[in-house]
Amino acid sequence: MPKDNNLGIFVLVYMIIFSLETSCDETSAAVLETCRGDFKLLSNIVSSQIDIHKQYGGVVPEVAARHHIQNIIPVVTEALQTAKIKFGDIDLMAVTSGPGLITSLIIGVETAKALSYAWRKPLLQVNHMYSHIAANFYQNKIQFPAVCLVVSGGHTEIVLLKNHRQFKKLGQTIDDAAGEAFDKVGKLLDLGYPGGPAISKMADQFSDRMQFPKIALPRPMINSKDYNFSFSGLKTAVLYASQKIKNKDENYQIAMSHYFQEAVIDVLISKTIKAAKNNKVKTILLAGGVAANKKLREALKSEAESNGFNFFVPEFKLCTDNAAMVAVAAYYLSEKKKIKLDNYKRIKTDPNWELV
Amino acid sequence: MKLISESEKETYGFAKKFAKQLQGGEVLCLIGDLGAGKTAFTKGIAAGLGITNTITSPTFVLMKVYKVKSKPLALAHIDAYRLRAGDELLHIGAGDYLSDKDCITVIEWADRVRDIWPKDAIKIGFKILKGDKREIKIKTSK
Repeated sequence: MPKDNNLGIFVLVYMIIFSLETSCDETSAAVLETCRGDFKLLSNIVSSQIDIHKQYGGVVPEVAARHHIQNIIPVVTEALQTAKIKFGDIDLMAVTSGPGLITSLIIGVETAKALSYAWRKPLLQVNHMYSHIAANFYQNKIQFPAVCLVVSGGHTEIVLLKNHRQFKKLGQTIDDAAGEAFDKVGKLLDLGYPGGPAISKMADQFSDRMQFPKIALPRPMINSKDYNFSFSGLKTAVLYASQKIKNKDENYQIAMSHYFQEAVIDVLISKTIKAAKNNKVKTILLAGGVAANKKLREALKSEAESNGFNFFVPEFKLCTDNAAMVAVAAYYLSEKKKIKLDNYKRIKTDPNWELV
Repeated sequence: MKLISESEKETYGFAKKFAKQLQGGEVLCLIGDLGAGKTAFTKGIAAGLGITNTITSPTFVLMKVYKVKSKPLALAHIDAYRLRAGDELLHIGAGDYLSDKDCITVIEWADRVRDIWPKDAIKIGFKILKGDKREIKIKTSK
């Protein structure tokens, strides 16, 4: 925790942050060592249930909750062991309390509250979307202001950051999230769940030499004046286009994956660059589960840099849900205030917690 | 009741008017394929109730709840797209809203969770006709 020095000035010297994340289908715990804004990740244990939910074509809340309960204590223990620390070494705890699936969130939140009480360590609640953004602050010196494109299974937002902890949402999807569109189109193309990685893998096999007629898909809202997105219509356009194709072979899956991914990426990039220019920022950030999409990372990086912006995206393992990003977020949130030992009493899950 | 909507905008407008008749406690069960107009209809219902929030897809979290500012009413927006049976919805607490007299519940892909429909559910079917044309069929069980 922050310590008062003899001069009465509040200084952060050295902190060990322990964090938990259970907002969807990954159970994760991490230990982060911080020293004046320098971070060292001592452990980041992620237990994914993806193989379990694959058979259902999506995360089943009750199944996820049961697995979180089974996994959480072993994951906590492993995080401490890997980091070679004891719970007494912890200075601050953090947990994701929303947004997410209520049945999943509640396991992490209640575990964290119980541990906070038992270990006598202060606990901070962190917004899941802010954590995704904060993954960019790990070992990167960000020049502000910045805009961040946050894309995941449940969210698609453009956020303007004044500094590490002051931000404002500029726009968002008005219907489906980008990741959700990937999942639904993945289902339409019989590629299974999750749709994102499957479509991206298919699209990688596309080449202009393929003997497949071009599929024209719309770029919804690309010219609208705001920073909002809409992906519901694009999914419908894929459905209509697929109805016209008789021979649904692998070439069809490859071509449709390619043209769909291209349409999504075009809109995401165009709006992000526009937001960056209009708000005169120095840096563009990319975050969220869909930030693991290779094409999106490459395309946004090249577009950002050719327009003179700095660009950052977290490494792959920090893009998908993990507790390390929660710890980084907690560092910045706790920088200017002291977290009381009984703060756990005020923490409640909020499945619809919106960034404002 | 049966009507033909010529566009997404018309579906939205119709739902907006339809919402004015709702008093609370109603459960609207929406059935129709991808792109048939279920989301446009739900957005219209929300607008008709005076909800100013952006109504985004609840597929990922299954349920989103919005407060109506002027009245002690709420709108629960449920998406059963990923589900196979209604008990999965009950496990996330949807039952509290289904039986709440101060809540209007909209269930998209309601055909997947028929087992939890209340007796007086209002069934709303969407059929894709040519182009942007849609047939909307409303059936109350009274």
